[in-house]
Amino acid sequence: MKVGDTYILAKTDLPMFFAAIGHEMRLIAPRAFFGGDVIFDIVESPKEIVWNYGHDIYPPKRFLLPHYEDMFRYTTGDDVRIEPLPAPPKQAIVGIRSCDVSAIRFQERFFGDQIDDPYYRARSENTVLFSIVCNKPPKRECFCICCDSGPYLESGFDVQLTDLGDRYLYEIGSEKGEQATQLGAFMLKPAEPKDTAERKRIELQADSLFQTVAYMAKAIMFVSEDQVPAQVWEELGSTCFRCGACTNLCPVCTCFTVEDRPEPNGCFTRCRSWDSCQFSGFTREASGHNPRPTFGTRVQRRFYHKASYQYILRDGRHGCVGCGRCVSACLTKLDLPSVVKRIRRAMHKYLQPQPASPNSS
Amino acid sequence: MVDKPTICGFCSCGCALYVEPAGSRVAALCPSTNHPVSTGRLCFKGWNAIPGLMGADRLRAPLIRKGESLESVSWDEALSYAASNLKRIISTSGSNSVGVIGSGKLTNEECYSLVKFARQVIGTPNIDGTSRFYDASMVPALLETIGLAASQVDLDSVARAGSMLVVGANVMEQLAHVGSRIQDAVEFGCKVVAADPRVSRIAPQASLFLHPIPGADLIWLRALLKTIIDNGLYVETATEIAGFNDLRDSLKDVSVKQLVGECGVDAEEVRQAAEILSNNPPVVVMFGLGVLQQAGASDLVKALANVAMLLGGSVMPLRGQNNAQGACDMGLATEYLPGCVPISDEQARQRWESVWNCKLTETPGMNAAEMIRACASGDIKALMVFGDNLVLSAPNSESAVAALEKLEFLVVSELYLTETAQIANLVLPACSFLEKDGTFTNIERRVQRVRKIFEPIGDSKSDLAIISLISRLLGFELSDDPETVTREISLNIPQYSEVSYLSLESDWGKPWPIDGVKAAMCPVESILQAEDPDYPLRLISSRIHYHQQTGTICARTSILAREYPESFAEMNEREAEKRGLKAGRHVTISSKFGSLTRMLILSDAVPEGCVHVPHFFGGDSSNMLASQECDSKSKTPVYKAIAVKVEAAK
Repeated sequence: MKVGDTYILAKTDLPMFFAAIGHEMRLIAPRAFFGGDVIFDIVESPKEIVWNYGHDIYPPKRFLLPHYEDMFRYTTGDDVRIEPLPAPPKQAIVGIRSCDVSAIRFQERFFGDQIDDPYYRARSENTVLFSIVCNKPPKRECFCICCDSGPYLESGFDVQLTDLGDRYLYEIGSEKGEQATQLGAFMLKPAEPKDTAERKRIELQADSLFQTVAYMAKAIMFVSEDQVPAQVWEELGSTCFRCGACTNLCPVCTCFTVEDRPEPNGCFTRCRSWDSCQFSGFTREASGHNPRPTFGTRVQRRFYHKASYQYILRDGRHGCVGCGRCVSACLTKLDLPSVVKRIRRAMHKYLQPQPASPNSS
Repeated sequence: MVDKPTICGFCSCGCALYVEPAGSRVAALCPSTNHPVSTGRLCFKGWNAIPGLMGADRLRAPLIRKGESLESVSWDEALSYAASNLKRIISTSGSNSVGVIGSGKLTNEECYSLVKFARQVIGTPNIDGTSRFYDASMVPALLETIGLAASQVDLDSVARAGSMLVVGANVMEQLAHVGSRIQDAVEFGCKVVAADPRVSRIAPQASLFLHPIPGADLIWLRALLKTIIDNGLYVETATEIAGFNDLRDSLKDVSVKQLVGECGVDAEEVRQAAEILSNNPPVVVMFGLGVLQQAGASDLVKALANVAMLLGGSVMPLRGQNNAQGACDMGLATEYLPGCVPISDEQARQRWESVWNCKLTETPGMNAAEMIRACASGDIKALMVFGDNLVLSAPNSESAVAALEKLEFLVVSELYLTETAQIANLVLPACSFLEKDGTFTNIERRVQRVRKIFEPIGDSKSDLAIISLISRLLGFELSDDPETVTREISLNIPQYSEVSYLSLESDWGKPWPIDGVKAAMCPVESILQAEDPDYPLRLISSRIHYHQQTGTICARTSILAREYPESFAEMNEREAEKRGLKAGRHVTISSKFGSLTRMLILSDAVPEGCVHVPHFFGGDSSNMLASQECDSKSKTPVYKAIAVKVEAAK
């Protein structure tokens, strides 16, 4: 058993397989909530996993970069003590989609490359991803196909599963994936050429089923070359509801704020929680100066971070994986596909030569 | 993550959200995707302010005033202290010297129990909700016109509207889900006519934006009514509605030109508005606190309801507190019994007398604003406040504090040691909506299930439990079990007859039914406020984005509180120049009743002749400029269009 091997896992064995994994680590998977809602959460038994889920609003990034995370506790005064918190648990994220895997790889690079973030690293080292290929886009809002992050992965996965009807194609993509596979290896059979051929057919079919398109190449060009008139950004910003959902729910967004929280017993907990570049307080400097003073400039900042060459060079890819969560979470239409579309249209309007006024010679 | 969602308690949209608890802290939260309101989306409050409910400085034990300080005591001591003081005051000064003020932030069950507590246990008619300070003026006016003190439509109908009239509402900032539905509607061709003295954030959606001078809404609305009637722009069935002829006749002898006068909106704009609305059915008429806190608010609401009825449209009042609708339905207003039936209705009174086994007075008691004034005059000796920071919500903090300090006994049930709790004799630690069960009724009349996510922090208790414990010491059994109270509500309030915990286990909750209501049109007269040369400017008050109610929770949410490091007032550049005022400097804004100092910012969004003073965090609120006196007709305080002057700060 090694990286690159492909196997077959019968659907009837699936609960037993993940039960074996679950003996060694906690299982995180899409789980059914009230009224048809599905959210990635801890599952007690693999039977709870909803394999065929549509929309999951809350990205599994929160198991690596928690929405609200305690970092450590400390006491002040004569006896200053810093109390580290227990190491994060070992976990398998099961049923995660290609877009979210790509986003986690992005975040691992971000939190590990320049300044090592020990909190993120500890969680990511303890996490193995069992991702699933989307045979068809699970929801209308998906556009991973435009972002090179799905509906299946060529690389970057730990274990990738493809639904072949009565069985899954099981691909091992990393050493972490290989180690985790050992726990249930006795249930796997080697894949045959017809299985990989079937997988190929599904890939080709899935590619053609996307309804949402995002002109990523256009976006990268417009934004990197700073071609978008400020007025367009301000028009976009004027409709923003300033909720911060776009950055909260973006599986790629990494920004957080840090706060020391007093506890009733006199000690403090240092916490970090998701923050958003869409808030004015996010960029305001101590002097009071704000480099992003208007809503338009803050929307611009967000898209700069998603699509500018500068960040692509640093982060290895553009900052959008096409999961479509910004589409469904935005109270207005400031999701990536709509904004790129609106920029394109607006640029036609602004960049067309103005008709000469009758008074000019 | 807890398996079932609860309902957000910040605004009246009522989103369903999931919360993951970690001890007494929020570890994660997200909206429900399938819920008809949240649809996978939350606003800045839902996303950011929820953890602010579980802050480290939450009240954990009851506090009794001993001299200058408040000291922690046990619940037993607190309750017997409350009971003995109430008994003493009732026996020496009578039940009518006790006032009870609740809030539209409590659950339906708590509101209902509080009303029952006041009327049955204490025996006082002085029971009211703090929606008196926000939107209570709509209740009698809507009952008289559309026959319903609630919205006629749900949010889906807003998204499908053909045109809308939105008056005096900062809807994009304060009720994001309504704002979002307006944007959806506009995308499908809906035409929005907005009216606000200031250019608000609905501007990009508006086909026509009217800017009446503050306080002059009734003037242009009458002109709009006349234009619709004279040009035959009303729907055919409108003439069958009672009062149509009276309304037409009341506008017969004046011209539109005479009507509009100098109100800031001209006859041509009124004509355009009338045409846009009549050419694009279905029409939804919405109005917010800009209307409801004005002088003559009830006439304004009637005028707006008339517009909706003439055009065959619907009315959606934009209410402030999250459960304002439920509180009103539960009878948390001194003029009404549960079900929003006037207390003067003898049959209804007799029925409730038999349900509660007590005697009810025929006339209303004092409302919240009147109670505060009666504290000053000594007519109210004991006041019990549940879930509201009166010092900041009531008009004019300074005189409110002075009045409350005269009380013999002030009990405040709160999450945090608010400005009001600080001057109380007894502070009871209440728990937030994350720590209790019950129901809330949203802006669409949708009755939804609030679910307990956390155990109450420290020794805090739900208001329902607190009411029950105090009642017991006064010799009455009021249930502390929310489900039992829900059952009592559904048995006795016809609108809620289908509501049960069981039905809310398989359903998100439905708007309560509105069949069989009778509508009537109602003529209204307009009066222009007299100018006062000493106070030549009009106040435009609003709430800054990220701020909610009195700011108790938002100010404790660092991401929201950091957005505006300094409070400010806004003025038009020409107006500032005329008065020799400079941007970036501090100015003092004063009315006859109070004053406050703010940094001045220049803004094109504010018309000349006005100053815009938003509410800020930490109690810095334009309420300071208001008077305790109520508008004579609507019996609600006036916060809008107050005459003020602005001078450079000394």
